[in-house]
Amino acid sequence: MKRLLQKMRNIGISAHIDSGKTTLTERILYYCKKIHRIHEVKGKDGGGATMDYMELERERGITITSATTNVTWNDHSINIIDTPGHVDFTIEVERSLRVLDGAILVLCSVGGVQSQTLTVDKQLKRYNVPTIAFINKLDRIGANPFKVKDQINDKLSRRAALLQVPVGLEDKFQGLVDLVRMKAYYFDGPNGEIVREEEIPPELEDLAWQYREELLDTVSLFSDELTEAILENRVSEDIFLKAIRKGTINREFTPILMGSAYRNKGVQLLLDAVVNYLPDPSEVENIALDLDQEEKPIRLKADPALPCVSYAFKLEEGPYGQLTYIRIYQGSLKRGDELYNTRSKQRFRVGRVVRMHADHMEDIEGAEAGDIVALFGVDCASGDTICSPGLNYAMTSIYVPEPVISLAIEATDKFSADRLAKALSRFTKEDPTFRMYIDPESKQTIIQGMGELHLDVYVERMRREYRVEVITGRPQVAYRETITTRADFDYTHKKQTGGAGQYGRVIGYLEPFEGSYEFVNEVKGGHIPREFIPSCDKGFQAMLKKGQLIGSPVIGLRVVLTDGQYHPVDSSDIAFQMAAQGAFKQAYKKARPQILEPIMRVVIETPSEFSGNVFGSLNQRRGIIVSSVEDGTYSRIEAEVPLSEMFGYSTVLRSMTQGKAEFTMEFLKYGRVPAHIAEQLMEEYRKKVEQDNKN
Amino acid sequence: MVRKILSSRSPIKTLEKNITGGVGPGKLGVFASRKGVGKTACLVQIALDRLLEEKPIIHVSYASRVDYIISWYEEIFKNLASRENLKSALEVHDRIIRNRVIMNFKQEGMPAAQVLKSLEALIGPGNFPASTIIVDGFNFYLPCREDLELFKKFAGEHQLEFWFSCSLKGEDPLFDENGVPFVLKDYLENIDIIITLEHDNGRVRLNLVKDHQQLPGKKLRLQLDPQTLLLARD
Repeated sequence: MKRLLQKMRNIGISAHIDSGKTTLTERILYYCKKIHRIHEVKGKDGGGATMDYMELERERGITITSATTNVTWNDHSINIIDTPGHVDFTIEVERSLRVLDGAILVLCSVGGVQSQTLTVDKQLKRYNVPTIAFINKLDRIGANPFKVKDQINDKLSRRAALLQVPVGLEDKFQGLVDLVRMKAYYFDGPNGEIVREEEIPPELEDLAWQYREELLDTVSLFSDELTEAILENRVSEDIFLKAIRKGTINREFTPILMGSAYRNKGVQLLLDAVVNYLPDPSEVENIALDLDQEEKPIRLKADPALPCVSYAFKLEEGPYGQLTYIRIYQGSLKRGDELYNTRSKQRFRVGRVVRMHADHMEDIEGAEAGDIVALFGVDCASGDTICSPGLNYAMTSIYVPEPVISLAIEATDKFSADRLAKALSRFTKEDPTFRMYIDPESKQTIIQGMGELHLDVYVERMRREYRVEVITGRPQVAYRETITTRADFDYTHKKQTGGAGQYGRVIGYLEPFEGSYEFVNEVKGGHIPREFIPSCDKGFQAMLKKGQLIGSPVIGLRVVLTDGQYHPVDSSDIAFQMAAQGAFKQAYKKARPQILEPIMRVVIETPSEFSGNVFGSLNQRRGIIVSSVEDGTYSRIEAEVPLSEMFGYSTVLRSMTQGKAEFTMEFLKYGRVPAHIAEQLMEEYRKKVEQDNKN
Repeated sequence: MVRKILSSRSPIKTLEKNITGGVGPGKLGVFASRKGVGKTACLVQIALDRLLEEKPIIHVSYASRVDYIISWYEEIFKNLASRENLKSALEVHDRIIRNRVIMNFKQEGMPAAQVLKSLEALIGPGNFPASTIIVDGFNFYLPCREDLELFKKFAGEHQLEFWFSCSLKGEDPLFDENGVPFVLKDYLENIDIIITLEHDNGRVRLNLVKDHQQLPGKKLRLQLDPQTLLLARD
């Protein structure tokens, strides 16, 4: 099937967990006739929602990995990426946002803008994704879409207006009034599949006109045509739609739709809005960096005739081998084409090309710019750029945060060690925030990630998908060391034990530095020959890997080399490296080193009645409460808390607030560890070193 | 040490010397003026003065965004640090803000009882040993006799000092013959200190119009620098 660019949409559904995103996706698939029966989340009917395709997700009732699926609505081909809502998995969200042209931001009509909504909203803004808001769960007790609209404007600082008003609310929620067409819509049939258009109920006329006014006022800012039409009193549906579309695509306006996915109301109108207001791939600017021209930015054109540029945003190990999800930005590809991976510099031939549906796939011949498809058997990592041979482009690399937590794992028996290696290799390829390494001393396998739940999920997946039983250690925080004052060094490395000797002397100082590390050479008069300067740098850098307090990496320091001495015969690369290492050891202790720990920005949403308990719990955890914002019933508390104190906090918070509060956290900065805890950490490290020496 | 010196030099101390025994625990003080004259700047300087003495404060605000309040503190601290030539300003700043909690109440006319309940939660179970409460944006134009009684009672029970701002509006005259704002006249029994701010020849002057039992109506030898918004002696 030839896909017209103008009739293509790549959208994501972003939301706070539990705002009904999976249910909404399920309904979209149903109305687009991709599935023939509606399942509910959490497998009430034994099925589980179609998009939540991993067993684990099914069990937990949450979506962890983003599955992409293609649907057709009103002649338009829509690729939908279902994105996870939990902050621990945000790399998934970020990666899918990278390839989207538009998004639906789902909000709960009762909870409104919650802490996670803010995180997701920030991500949408970071990737400049045009967004439609959908206020879900209008059938719930306490539903108030008008309040949520105000929150979208105030808390998310979006210019947003309602495109609909509800006919009834809570258990009396029946349908919607469309403020563009000024008609009421009801959703009949067992699954709401029949959309019935009616006149607006008389009691809602005033309200509808009032909000239409508001909508016109807002949208007319983006369209002179609409402003003129308003003045001349001839606002047509077409002019109105165009103005909304323009505002949305330029990200100056956020249209708000609403409904109840669970009650099958409002979803078809949302799909209309996706088609009407979100951009097609040609309307979005995409930039690649030309690696042959010092990363000069190149604007890509969604033209199938040009050479191909595509981006691998997700990998998945299926029963038939590795599946690579790609977004094509320019050109086209088809089976048998030769392509080039610009990171690994490998050429390969395209084998099977498939279009993905929630859990099954359809083989296709090829695909063109704008589309999202999957390739089979391509050896690559996620985030790679794949081009036609001859091009050497990289799509802007996505922001990958540093992991903040690590965990030692070990397979319970020898036989599963192989499978463990396989699992780790796949997970690390799939998820750049999930890393692993072997600790050279303890020989333990260490996995690293963005939070407790993040690692938990992978451990669980090892069990389920690879049948590897693992024993896990205590989660370890990624500490750092730094210096707090300037300290001088003057160190001579001298060795003469037969054969060629070693000689090198380095003089200079260490001092605190804003960035991670800097090496400054101020040696004059050739006291250290030029060829040995890099050796000194290398020697210092080797010492940064492991600080002397607790063996953590050292950051925030500048080494200034001012003078030195060499020997015409005995000086060598290795001699100066050794001299630098000795100098570092000498100066480091004098530079008053300190241990740093990751400090997290923690945001808790809780009913105000529990705020005292929450304050107390943060205080106990060495947290600094930054602010507390109350809007009557709910409090939003923001605090800075050391990560090491946050283990198990979700359980504590749940039991403290009868499960009514929730929290998100993200890495904020490295902060100094208080003296008594630093003592403890150093003591533990001493013991560990002793133990290792004994073994 | 740096902080002690900074705090003892502070014009806030001059202010307090002029008031019989300062505001003190269990007492309520109010800065009153029209919008945009410098009430918030005064409040933030009181707060910073306490923070530099390592006394925890809670900044209560109505309808102002948290980042907006934080930027007030940043700005005033920056100006203060540069005026006093403070070394290691960043470090001092990072240390003192640990003792500050901002509580923002969104709804206009949120009952005082609710606000106090939240303060209680933070001070009690939250274990935050506040000594000063700053209240910015409280609407004195709504009937608030009972609210002020509650605040006063709470201040007494917890030995807290409260500093409010009162935004004056409407047509002149705003003040009576003693310089007391008309809007505050009904609440004098619950307010211990009232300081008004007025424009005077391109400067902002501070007047002490209620000092505990007295209505001195005296001009304080203090002014607000319109550039830095810092209080300075004449």
